[in-house]
Amino acid sequence: MPERILVQGNESIGWGAISAGCRHFFGYPITPQNEITDFFARELPEIGGVFVQSESEAASAAMLYGAAAAGVRVITSTSGAGWGLMQEGMSQLANAELPCVIVNMQRGGPGQGTTRHAQMDYLSATRGGGQGGYKTIVLTPASVQECHDLVQLAFHLADKYRNPVVVLGDGILGQMAEPLERSTIEFDPLPEKYWTIRGMGERDAETHNFISCGQGGVIPVLPYTSYGAFLQRLEEKYQAMSADEVRYEIYRIEDARLLMVAYGSTARVCQEAVDMARAEGISTGLLRPISLWPFPTDVIRQKAASGTEFLVVEDSLGQLVDDVRYAVEGKSQVHFLGILDRHLPTDGGMILPNRVLDEIKKVS
Amino acid sequence: MTEKKELVYTKPELKLGYGWGHCPGCHHPIVEKLVCEVLEEMDLAGRAVGVAGVGCSFGFFASINIDGANCAHGAAPAVATGIKHALYGKPLVFTIQGDGDCAAIGGGYVLNAAARGEKITIIMVNNANYGTTGGQLAPTTIMGQVTSTTPHGRNAGQGYPIHLPELLVGMQGVAFTARAAPFTPAGYLRAKSYLKTAFQRQLGEAGLTFVELLSACPPNWHMTPLEAIQWMEDKMLPEYPEGIFKDSGGEQ
Amino acid sequence: MSRGEIAINEQLCKGCGYCVRFCPQSCIAIPGDRFSPQGYLLAVFTEPDKCNACSICGWMCPEFAIDVYRYVEAETPSA
Repeated sequence: MPERILVQGNESIGWGAISAGCRHFFGYPITPQNEITDFFARELPEIGGVFVQSESEAASAAMLYGAAAAGVRVITSTSGAGWGLMQEGMSQLANAELPCVIVNMQRGGPGQGTTRHAQMDYLSATRGGGQGGYKTIVLTPASVQECHDLVQLAFHLADKYRNPVVVLGDGILGQMAEPLERSTIEFDPLPEKYWTIRGMGERDAETHNFISCGQGGVIPVLPYTSYGAFLQRLEEKYQAMSADEVRYEIYRIEDARLLMVAYGSTARVCQEAVDMARAEGISTGLLRPISLWPFPTDVIRQKAASGTEFLVVEDSLGQLVDDVRYAVEGKSQVHFLGILDRHLPTDGGMILPNRVLDEIKKVS
Repeated sequence: MTEKKELVYTKPELKLGYGWGHCPGCHHPIVEKLVCEVLEEMDLAGRAVGVAGVGCSFGFFASINIDGANCAHGAAPAVATGIKHALYGKPLVFTIQGDGDCAAIGGGYVLNAAARGEKITIIMVNNANYGTTGGQLAPTTIMGQVTSTTPHGRNAGQGYPIHLPELLVGMQGVAFTARAAPFTPAGYLRAKSYLKTAFQRQLGEAGLTFVELLSACPPNWHMTPLEAIQWMEDKMLPEYPEGIFKDSGGEQ
Repeated sequence: MSRGEIAINEQLCKGCGYCVRFCPQSCIAIPGDRFSPQGYLLAVFTEPDKCNACSICGWMCPEFAIDVYRYVEAETPSA
């Protein structure tokens, strides 16, 4: 029987990383994810791992860059302004094709914003917040167990594609506690990391490895022949991710004429609203994206073509709704319930199930 | 008695091809040469990993046959921290950065790597301006020096030069700081010995080590190379004296 | 005093003049009538008999363009 423990989502992220064989964390304190930083400071030294508190989140991204270049599994976690500070570093990681996991437990923004939950970094996560237009797979858990599981998947996908992967949670998910069954998930075998910089002596090599995040002027773009060839490689990688790494979960959508689309903790609220609506004879269901990039566009497009209407519920002024509208291409109605529909105007306000139920009734 | 011609000096083995093609009279390639010679003489090439910052040193590890990377502007000390800790302190890890990269955008990185006492060596090439971008004011620009962003000569309104080796002396995590000007034969030998000591202190886990090396930047100074090294003699050396400012010992 | 000789790679020399400036024996000059393929004024080894293979020119050259040789007695093969 795998070990069951009652933990917060934040801590569950930590256990997941350890199960994935990650022994290195570089990060900076920021609410509401501090329990992740503290977890690694406490646990990693016990198992021969390394915890370094960085001087800023920009530095965290740089430390990830170094550790990933040296070939180890490495993770950081952040939120709000820290996430903002990491955008340039993530663009560098994407250019240099360095695998790592970046956790963002979203909080209210913009600016310093709040220290509580929100879902306002959707676009910067899924569109690449840094310069140049890169892609990262974005996985979004909706339970403490899924935090643990998706972090392991994130490490696998990072190594599979040599690319940073984002795990996008929020303050509620991080702070709430649920039972967690700890386990090590098995994945397919991964390509060998022949490209790492650990010192030529380490691999008995005569020629060096060179990792670059720039392809300017006379700098060779090894192993590619030109900047264009390098971009071609990125494009092929991003196409492969789009084709093979879409993940979502559907909940009671068999006969649903109105389909809700929501992720993370908001999806839990919508799941309850589905049950409440069906108890009152209203057929509705939920589509919960688990990968926000690549987005489950096709399944939404098919549903729209068959006349299904949508109610997007997200804890922001409207970001996920853009992707749903894009998928639906105007073929059916896309309704929206957002952060302004919280039960309280304070930073602690939340979108609650009965408010969602009211909206279901209004639009059905 | 017949004579034989014996080769006594040539390009270091670690130097691949002819590199990035710096401007005539630039000392960045001299820093490449110094690093190669020191690593060869200390037999550390197989154990060394380097990180180059953004600027005239960005292409450093493209043409030096040791494992290396370049990275975001200013971030090299943090990248080096990541490498050093990822490999549990095993490799010799050093950065090659310019003055803007190190002391301007990278100032916080250097200060905090020093505060953490990271066992890395930071090599800062000081050419008193932003080279690759056409010669703007840098933290190391000298008072009165004309740059493209101090057209009337740097004045008090635009701040004062930063002296990192001296500044870092007071930090416990710092084991060795020094400055050399490898534009003369004596300066070249000083630079070489300071680099060796810095690497030895790193391997002896004494703490962070920092070596500043002065470089001419003829095109941006609007001088010929020979005028540039004269200017270094007259203006830079008084502002940036050579020497060891801290050495906590700790033979490797 | 050992006798030396240098070879300046004309593909690489950018005419910066550092070798000329720091050669203790003033064996090198830039005559101004020799150009590199890129159009730089080439440094030329003008006083070969004064060279003692000290290698300073090699150190000072930013282009890795100078090789330095020394003439040494070859052991005469025993009769």
